Amino acid sequence: MARTIVCDGNEAAAWGVALSRPDMVAVYPITPQSSLAEYISQFVADGIIQADLMDVEGEHSVLSVLQGACLAGARTFTATCGQGLAFMFEPYFRTPPLRLPIVMSIVTRDGITPQCVWGGQQDAMTVREAGWVHMYCENNQEILDTVIMAYRIAEHRDVMLPVNVNHDGNYLSYGVEKVEIPDQEEVDAFLGEKNTNWHAALDPDRPMGVDPLTGGAGGLGPALFVRYRKGLCKGMQNALGVITEVHKEWEKTSGRSYAPLIEEYRLEDADYAIMTIGSMTGAGKDAVDAAREAGERIGLVKIKTFRPFPLQALREALRKVKAVGVVDRSVSFGWNFGPVYQELLSAMYFLNRHIPAVSFIGGLAGADITVDHFNRVIETTAMALHGEVFSEPVWLNENDQSPGSDRVSQ
Amino acid sequence: MSHSNYLIIGSSHAALSALEAIRIQDTEGSITLVTQEDTLPYSPTILPYVISGQIDPEQIFLRDAEALDRHRVTFKKGARVVAVDPANHSVSMDSGETLKYEKMLLATGAEPTLPPIPGVKDASCHVLRTLGDAVRLQSIAQKAKSAIILGAGLIGMHAAENLAKAGVQIAIVEALPRVLPGYFDEQAAGLVQQVFTEHGIKILTGSTVTHVTASNGTCTVSLESGGELSGDLLLVATGVRARMDYLAGSGIDIGEGIVVDDTMRTSSRDIWAAGDVAEARSFFGGKKRVNANLPNAVEQGRIAGMDMVGDSALKPFTGGIARNAYHFFGHRAFSVGLVGRAESAGGIEVDQVFLPSSVQYQKMVFEDDRLVAVSGVNTMLDPGIMYELVRQRVDLSEVKARFAAGPLQMGRILMSKIWG
Amino acid sequence: MGKSYPTIAFYPDRCDGCNQCVEACAEFHSGTRNPAHSRIKVSQDGEEGAFFLALCRQCGEPRCVPSCPAGALKKDIDTGVVSLDESKCVSCQLCTLACPYGGITYNPITHQVMKCDFCDGDPVCVKACPRGALELKTGSDIYNGWGDLEDLFVPGISACQGCNSELLIRHTLRRIGPNTVVATPPGCIPGVGAVGFNGVTATKTPIFHPLLTNTAAMLAGIRRYYNRIGRDVTMLAFAGDGGTADVGFQSLSGAAERGEQMIYICVDNEGYMNTGVQRSSTTPYGAWTSTTPVGTVLRGKSRDAKPMALLMVMHNCEYVATACMTFMEDYYAKLEKAVEAAKRGMAYIHVFSPCPTGWRFPPSKLIEVGRKAVETNMVPLWEYEAEARCIDFTHPVEDPLPVKAYLSLIGKYNHLDEEQVAHIQRKTDERIETLKKFTREGDVKPIQDAA
Repeated sequence: MARTIVCDGNEAAAWGVALSRPDMVAVYPITPQSSLAEYISQFVADGIIQADLMDVEGEHSVLSVLQGACLAGARTFTATCGQGLAFMFEPYFRTPPLRLPIVMSIVTRDGITPQCVWGGQQDAMTVREAGWVHMYCENNQEILDTVIMAYRIAEHRDVMLPVNVNHDGNYLSYGVEKVEIPDQEEVDAFLGEKNTNWHAALDPDRPMGVDPLTGGAGGLGPALFVRYRKGLCKGMQNALGVITEVHKEWEKTSGRSYAPLIEEYRLEDADYAIMTIGSMTGAGKDAVDAAREAGERIGLVKIKTFRPFPLQALREALRKVKAVGVVDRSVSFGWNFGPVYQELLSAMYFLNRHIPAVSFIGGLAGADITVDHFNRVIETTAMALHGEVFSEPVWLNENDQSPGSDRVSQ
Repeated sequence: MSHSNYLIIGSSHAALSALEAIRIQDTEGSITLVTQEDTLPYSPTILPYVISGQIDPEQIFLRDAEALDRHRVTFKKGARVVAVDPANHSVSMDSGETLKYEKMLLATGAEPTLPPIPGVKDASCHVLRTLGDAVRLQSIAQKAKSAIILGAGLIGMHAAENLAKAGVQIAIVEALPRVLPGYFDEQAAGLVQQVFTEHGIKILTGSTVTHVTASNGTCTVSLESGGELSGDLLLVATGVRARMDYLAGSGIDIGEGIVVDDTMRTSSRDIWAAGDVAEARSFFGGKKRVNANLPNAVEQGRIAGMDMVGDSALKPFTGGIARNAYHFFGHRAFSVGLVGRAESAGGIEVDQVFLPSSVQYQKMVFEDDRLVAVSGVNTMLDPGIMYELVRQRVDLSEVKARFAAGPLQMGRILMSKIWG
Repeated sequence: MGKSYPTIAFYPDRCDGCNQCVEACAEFHSGTRNPAHSRIKVSQDGEEGAFFLALCRQCGEPRCVPSCPAGALKKDIDTGVVSLDESKCVSCQLCTLACPYGGITYNPITHQVMKCDFCDGDPVCVKACPRGALELKTGSDIYNGWGDLEDLFVPGISACQGCNSELLIRHTLRRIGPNTVVATPPGCIPGVGAVGFNGVTATKTPIFHPLLTNTAAMLAGIRRYYNRIGRDVTMLAFAGDGGTADVGFQSLSGAAERGEQMIYICVDNEGYMNTGVQRSSTTPYGAWTSTTPVGTVLRGKSRDAKPMALLMVMHNCEYVATACMTFMEDYYAKLEKAVEAAKRGMAYIHVFSPCPTGWRFPPSKLIEVGRKAVETNMVPLWEYEAEARCIDFTHPVEDPLPVKAYLSLIGKYNHLDEEQVAHIQRKTDERIETLKKFTREGDVKPIQDAA
């Protein structure tokens, strides 16, 4: 029988890992992921996770040992964030083209400098083009469930890509909620046989050269390279359907339903909407509810799957509204806006739906995005709906005054 | 019809060396080895020792059947080639059989010639070239009390010694003024002759035979000098010639032997020749001639085999050099190069030690500070090293005095420094 | 495949002409010490004083054997010895005319020819020599032991002429066998096509490119999984000095500390040869590279090389060794130990890998460069076994040549001035002194658990 516990997001992730029966987990601590590494280690110590625990010397090796194991046939897990992710970037960037179905939590954290150990999505957003599937969770239950689903998605023959299950540092990593832990048998049945290296193996029983030099000035090499690149893109696009299908299956197994790509909230009769990603969504929904009560025809679109970008899923949502306010928890330095906002602009071009949109950047460096902040978002978006043009992003925490009151301790 | 990738006619040293060289490179190609003998391969050089009984005729074979099998050789005994058809890549055998080949080596060696002496053909004289000859002579030697040998070349001398050891009284008749004229000079030959004489062998040098008669199992040889010699046995060892009668009409260039280039190719495509049958370049002077000695046959056979199989390590023939080693009555002699050069003029230096009382002789001939000939009787030299010094034309100008003073030591030192 | 055989090697500079080898040979073969019976002959050049040897070479393709009309000489396939059957020999002496080495000689006492018969495999001359001038070389045992095994590296790879790595890879893979996963990070080895080009591979074992930075970590992951599923698969790295001592050092250090089971071979060509000869932390002092150039101000690298192998001794390794392909037997012996050690933890072999292209010396000098490196103590050969907790020199050089004998062979040291050479000599001497402290006789033991 499923049981219910109260735990923080990091522990919820660890339970998701435990139920997925990995062969190898690798850990290296970094705030705010550290307790996740500790839970995993303790679970291995207690026999809850029956995996090799690779307590290695840095994130670079964390992902490297997992790549090796995965090529030998192992199901693997790790977690990191922030500078750890930055240090891991070299093997990280290589995992998708190797088509290794590794699952990794990013307990999102803002980037230094200024020196900062607190939440933000700058880390995950910065690596969004590396070829990993990125899914953002809204609460602890979704973390647990998404970790499990991530293996089905990653190891799907049509996908064969690594998956990041992202949850917000501080707010989810340390926030305690009620979480239902499914039965192992249910999860076993749901995940089925693992599949990590049918395509590329380091196995004397199937000797092959893995990752030979590919390319050159012309001819076969670059053509092969293009084939690999297109294959990765195709896997990514296939993932959209697989993610949706897996979420449906998981609903059948667990009884819990999540929007697989994007969630539409009170959008049916909305004139405009706000767009959120991650744990801020709860506050966003509260603000929408309050605005609705005040008579605003406002709704919310939550991005769950950011990579692959859910372009077609956005079509319906965007048709329903005439203005959007996008709240980013990170910065696209080159565009002077938030990255989600930036991607929405691209999507609107492809969908031939050109409506006013405003970029909000908030929740940096651990700052909370409160209902008050969302009220500002809604008000500002309403102004855009009525014709005002915003050529600069709105920095939500720019004028926060009282130090400590809206900060989260480390 | 039999078809071979490699057809080798002959089965002695040149043939076997070629066979080995081919098999190093080509372990698969079919090889046929053909001999007119009825036996496994052997060396004619061993035959005198068969006569004396020193060696059992069953023990002389250079390869046993198993070794030939291991090399996957089709071995045809008692098969004599009678004609060669280069255009059709085929040869005809005395049995009427035709053998096809892709590449062929002719290593048919030499055969004895009979001198144009009246009566020789009618007398039941013996020659010594085949095992059959040797076995026959051995059996006769057991009964014969005396023998006359015409010719004091290596065959005649070897046979004389071995017949003597079998208890036969021997007289040797040689038309030239000394024994072993092809290899040794007067002094060396004199020492050899001295030893033979001491062993009761009568040697008549400078003697011409006018005619031979035979009656009641006794041969009588009449000499120009007027004397007569009689014996139970007459062995003719006056000379050999290349055995190549089967080439008549083939169009292949022949002289005193089958003419070959430095990789032993004949004038005909896909046909090579090596050994006593081949007329190859001489080291000295470069003129082509037959240089019938055993080490030469080994070397030419190897070169031919390597070229037939396309071995890239092949180094062309550097030219034939007369050389031989000779062991007689417990003494040893050897010669390399042109020992007769002493008499020539210009740039020639000769270094000689002659100690007839202890049967010792050493002669070294230098031309432009290079060794061109060495011969020795009962000297402690390494003949193989001396041969290399000649063949490599090693410049001795820096060390000549030391070389002359101690050629054994200096030869070994030069070997270590240059090719060892 | 054929066989290879032991040989007797002669070191003229160690010979003092004592003739004990000659007498021992005579005694063994005749019962008397009369040199006339000896198959081994020592000559002295009266002028130069040097000694020379005439002795049967037991040739692979002997000239004496086919020149014997009696079939009395044979090359023994099992022992390699060219044997003389005296019962067949007729003393015709044609063999003495055929041999260009003075290896088969006439014995005036017995009136027979005689030649070295290897004393049933244990030559008495070698044992008799008091100065080590004669050595029984059994390097061929390597070939006999492993020669029949498949070469797991294809022919026709695109390595430079005289490439040490190719030699290393062929021997190593042949010895370690196909039940192996090979990691070779970016550098010359994958550069020659070891992992492959455009869809085809050059290696018959599983092989892959790790990153330059994570070779040891990736192998650790693979091995751990095979352990988990109960398969014993060998992990083998061929990593350059950059991927080992520079940017890959962290992952190697971590893997060693964790006792990951692998054979990690650092192919130290003292720089980034594949990218055009740039310096690494193992580039020696004074060496020219394209980033430690020689000009009016700079004179090659200004720092000494990182003592990588010694560092690994302090890293919880099960086995650490240095090696040089010139000393192949030494390498095979170490590989043997590494295979065993890698069942328990990390085995690290630091292979000195001279690079004709990057170091500027002729490809034909590869083996000599290796020899001089060892004989000058620039590259001391040693090993460390965790159990013994000390370093053993496997090829001690008692009387090292001056480093100049090594430096002068190599173009990258051409510019060195006397002061720089003196520096290298001093550091070389110091390094040996340091290493000696870790030997059985030394006063330092690299005790792992002390850390």
